[in-house]
Amino acid sequence: MDYILNFEILDKTSLPMVGGKNASLGEMIKSGIRVPPGFAVTTDSYLNFITETGIKDKTFEILSHMQPDDVDALNKASAEIQGLINNTSMNDEVQSAIERGYSQLCEKCVFEDLPVAVRSSATAEDLPTASFAGQQDTYLWVVGTDNIINSVRKCWASLYTPRAIDYRNKNDFPHEKVLISVGVQKMVNSRTAGVMFTLNPTNGDPSKVVIEGSWGLGETVVSGSVNPDKFVVDKVVMETNERTISTKHIKCVHDPDGGEVIDVDVEEDMQCKCCLENEEIKELARIAKVIEAHYGRPMDIEWAIDMDFSFPENMFIVQARPETVWSQRKKEPLIGKKSGYQLLMDQAMKRIKIPG
Amino acid sequence: MADTNEGRFPDPQEIQVPPELEGWEEMYPSHYLFSKERGEWESAQFWYQDKIHAPEPMPPLDLLFQEAWQIALSQYTTRVFCIPPAQGIAQRMVGPYMYICAIAPPPDEIIGEKAGLFEKRVFYVFEHYNELWDKWLTKFKALGEEMKGLEIPKEMPKYVPEDQVLPAPTGCYVSYDLLESFDSLVNQMFKGWQYHFEMLNLTYLAYLMFGDVTRKLFPGISESAIGKMVAGAYVSMFRPEEELCQLSRLAVSLNGVADILKREMTADQKIAELEKTSDGKQWLEAFEKAKDPWFYVSCGSGWFHYEGSWINNLDIPYSYIKSYVERLENGETIERDLDEVEKERDKTVAKYRELIESDEDRNAFDGAHNTVRTIYKYAEDHLFWVEHWFHTIWFSKIREFGTLLVDNGMLNEVDDIFMFNRYEIPEILTEVATAWALGVDIPVRGDYYKAKADKRKKILKAAGDWMPSPALGIPPEEVAEPFTIMLWGVTTDKVKEWLKGMGEVSTEDVSELKGFASSAGVVEGKARVLKRLDEIVGLEPGEILVCPTTNPSWAPVFTKIKAAVTDIGGLTSHAAIVCREYGVPSVTGTGIATSVIKTGDTIQVDGETGVVTIVERA
Repeated sequence: MDYILNFEILDKTSLPMVGGKNASLGEMIKSGIRVPPGFAVTTDSYLNFITETGIKDKTFEILSHMQPDDVDALNKASAEIQGLINNTSMNDEVQSAIERGYSQLCEKCVFEDLPVAVRSSATAEDLPTASFAGQQDTYLWVVGTDNIINSVRKCWASLYTPRAIDYRNKNDFPHEKVLISVGVQKMVNSRTAGVMFTLNPTNGDPSKVVIEGSWGLGETVVSGSVNPDKFVVDKVVMETNERTISTKHIKCVHDPDGGEVIDVDVEEDMQCKCCLENEEIKELARIAKVIEAHYGRPMDIEWAIDMDFSFPENMFIVQARPETVWSQRKKEPLIGKKSGYQLLMDQAMKRIKIPG
Repeated sequence: MADTNEGRFPDPQEIQVPPELEGWEEMYPSHYLFSKERGEWESAQFWYQDKIHAPEPMPPLDLLFQEAWQIALSQYTTRVFCIPPAQGIAQRMVGPYMYICAIAPPPDEIIGEKAGLFEKRVFYVFEHYNELWDKWLTKFKALGEEMKGLEIPKEMPKYVPEDQVLPAPTGCYVSYDLLESFDSLVNQMFKGWQYHFEMLNLTYLAYLMFGDVTRKLFPGISESAIGKMVAGAYVSMFRPEEELCQLSRLAVSLNGVADILKREMTADQKIAELEKTSDGKQWLEAFEKAKDPWFYVSCGSGWFHYEGSWINNLDIPYSYIKSYVERLENGETIERDLDEVEKERDKTVAKYRELIESDEDRNAFDGAHNTVRTIYKYAEDHLFWVEHWFHTIWFSKIREFGTLLVDNGMLNEVDDIFMFNRYEIPEILTEVATAWALGVDIPVRGDYYKAKADKRKKILKAAGDWMPSPALGIPPEEVAEPFTIMLWGVTTDKVKEWLKGMGEVSTEDVSELKGFASSAGVVEGKARVLKRLDEIVGLEPGEILVCPTTNPSWAPVFTKIKAAVTDIGGLTSHAAIVCREYGVPSVTGTGIATSVIKTGDTIQVDGETGVVTIVERA
C-alpha cells in the first residue's frame, strides 16, 4: 500500500491514486517545470481510514436513511459525517506515513517546522470536480504533523458537504466509490515573486516572455498594489530587451505569529533594487517556454523564488493557466500575401517620420 | 556650446570654430565649406557629424575618400537604382570635422518616375546577385592590380635615360609621367569608390525591409536578433584573422618555428631567425602567400593614412600570431567554427519562423529573409576589398609621391603629402616638374610647402581638443535615405538624445547613456577610451573598449575585450557586426560615450537594453 507518494514520481497514470491536481504537478515536474516539493496522500490512505475505522459503514448507514429533497436531513447528515471524519484518529500506518512524508520534506528543505499548503485533489475527473470535492479545500501555512493530519482530514471531509452529497444522490453516483487524495506541498518562502506571460500582453508579440516581479509573496504583483519590476525577454535569442526597475515600497510576507500574510514596508535600500538576478530572469523565461510547450498554448504563469534553496532549484511555478486576451483574438495576418520583391518595393517607397 | 538654444542645433552659417584652427578652410576644396550662395538651402537641412568616416580631424588628402563616396553613394540612390523618395547625402567641413546630411525627398513627380525605374533595375540585381558579385570581384581585383602596377617616377633623373630617347624618343618624360601617374591614381580611387556602392544601397534597403517585416511580426525584436538572422559566417573581413589562425597552426606543427614566434622580438628579428632553418623558411613562404591580399588590412578603419596596415607594420600580425601560438600550446581552440555560426543563424531563423501564426505571414517572412540573404553578403564582403585592400595599396602609392617630394626638397617628411588635398598636389608636382625641366640650379618653394604642412598639422592637432556640436540645422520630419538610418543610426531618438546633449554643461553629470543594443550580454568592467585609433596598443585584456567607432580589422582584439561602446553606429555598423560575431556585448551609437566616459571608469554595458551605466568614476 502506498499511503503517500512523492510528487516527483507521479504522472498521468497516477491519477486514480492521487487525483487530478497532484497528477498534473507530477506531469509538470516530468517536463522540467519546477514546482514546490511535496507529496500526495493517496486514495489508499483515505480508503484505509474510512474502512479500518468503520466510517465507511457508518456513512453508508447515515446516507441510506436520507430522503431526497429533505434539506434539513441533508445538512444534518453532512455535519454528522464530517464530524466523524474530523474526529476519528487515523490508524498508525497512515499517520506515520504522513509523518514520514512531512519529516522528509522538512529535511529536504533544511527547515524545521516547514510551512506547507494542504489541498484536496479529486479523482473523478469526468464529473464536475467541485461537486465531489466540496470546497476544494486548501489550507495554507500549515505547520507540524498534527496540524497537517487535521488538514488532511478536513480535505477528506470536504467530500461530504451537503452540495456534494446532494449532487451524487441526484446523479445516482455511489458515495462509496468516490475517493479523494490530498497534496502536501511546501509553501514557497518567497524572496521575489510575480507573474509572467508567454507573449507580450501589450502587443501580442509571440516572441517575448514578459516577467513582472516584486519582493516577497506574489500577492502584491497579482493585486497591483506595487509597481513591479518588468522584464521583456526574447524567446529565441534569450536577450532581455527591456528592463524597468520600479520603486517597490511594500511587500507581502507571511506572519508566523498571526498565521496570515501581511503587507510590510520594504527596506529603503531594497526599494529601487532590481528584484531578479540576470540568471533568474533567463531561467524564468526558459521555464515559461517549457510551460507554453507543455500546454501547447500561450500561458499566464505565477512564479516565486524560494529563499530556502539556491539557484536554479529555487525557481518555482505556483500556478499556470491559459492566456485569454490575445489567444481569443481573431488572427489577422500582419503582413499578408507579399513576395520579397513586393516588400522591397514597399520599403523603397517608405519614409521614416521624425516628429519635430 | 553655450551659444545654442535648447531644442535646436546651431545654424551651419553661424557656427564658430576655435581661433586655434584659423586657416582651416584652405585645407579642403572650397565647395566643402558652408557658403552664402547655398546658404538658404544649407540652413534648411539637418547636418550631423559623421563619426563613422570622419571620427577624427580630417587630413586634407584623406578627404578624397569622402569626396568619392559623396558622389558614388548618392548617385546609386538618385540616378542609378533610383530609390524613389530618397536623395543623396551631402557633405560639408566645419573645421577639420565632416558633417553630412541626408537630403529631403524630391517632388512627387520625380518619386513616381523613379519608382518605375527602381522596379525595372533593382529586382534584376537580386535575381542575378551571385554572377554579379563574381563580376564585381573580378573587376575590382583587376582595378587594385592596376593601381599596384602603376609606375610612379622614383626620381627626377639628371638626364632622361638613353633607352627613352634611342632608337626612337618615347615622346613624353618624367615631367609628364609625374602628373599623369598622380591623376591615374586619383582616378582609380574614384573608380574604386564607384564600384564600392554598386550593390550596397540595395543591400541596406533589403536589410531595412527585413527589419521592418520582423518588427511587424515581433514588435519588440532587438536589432541584434535581426542582425543574427541576416549575418553570414564566411565573410572576407574575417579572413585575415583566419589566415593568422592557420599560420599559427602551421607554426606549431613545424620544428622550432613556434618557439621563435613566441619570443619577445620584433617581426624583423623573427623573420631573420626563421630564415635560418628550412622549417622556418617553409613557414615564411606560407606567410608570404597569405599576405596578399589578406594582410592588406588596415589597423584602423582604412579611412586615415596614419592608421597603417598589417603589411607595413608586421609587428601587428606577428604579435597576434604569438598569442595564438601560445593559446594553441595551452590546448585552446583559436578558430571560430564557421559552420556552427551558420547553423546557429539558421536555427535562430527557424525558431522565429515557428512563432509566426499565419501561413501568409510565414511566407512573407520567408520571402523577406530570402531577399535579404541573397544580397547581404555584399555588405559583408565589399568592406575588405575596398576600405582595406584597395586603400592599403593607395596609401603605399601615395607615399611613393611623398618620398619623391621629400627627395626634391618640397616636404620634410613622406607623410606630409597627406597635408595637401588632391587638387593641391598636382600644383606641387608641377612645380617640381617645371624646375626639373628648366635646368640646373632652379629654385623651388620648398619652404612654402613645408611651412604649410607644419601649420596644417598644428591645426589638426588643435582640433583634437575641440568637440563640435553633434549636429547643425533643423532636424527633418522624415528620413528616407537607407544609409542614414542603417549605418549612422540616425533616428528620432538619436536626434533627441543629441539635442539633450546640447544643453549639457558638464559631461561629468552624465552617468547613463543610451544607444543601440547591438550585441547581447551584460558585463561590467574598466573602460578604455580610444579616441584615436592608434591608441589601441594601450588596450589591456578584459577592458571595455570605448571608441568613436570600431572596425572588423581589429578582429583579434575582440577576443581580448569584455565589451564595446561606440559613439556612432547603427543597425549594421561595423562594430555591431563584429561584436555579434565574437559574442562580445556592445552598445553602439551612444553619441557621447568617448566624451563622457574616461579611461579607468568602471562601467556596465547592457547589450540587451542598450544602456551604458557609469558605475564608478576613476
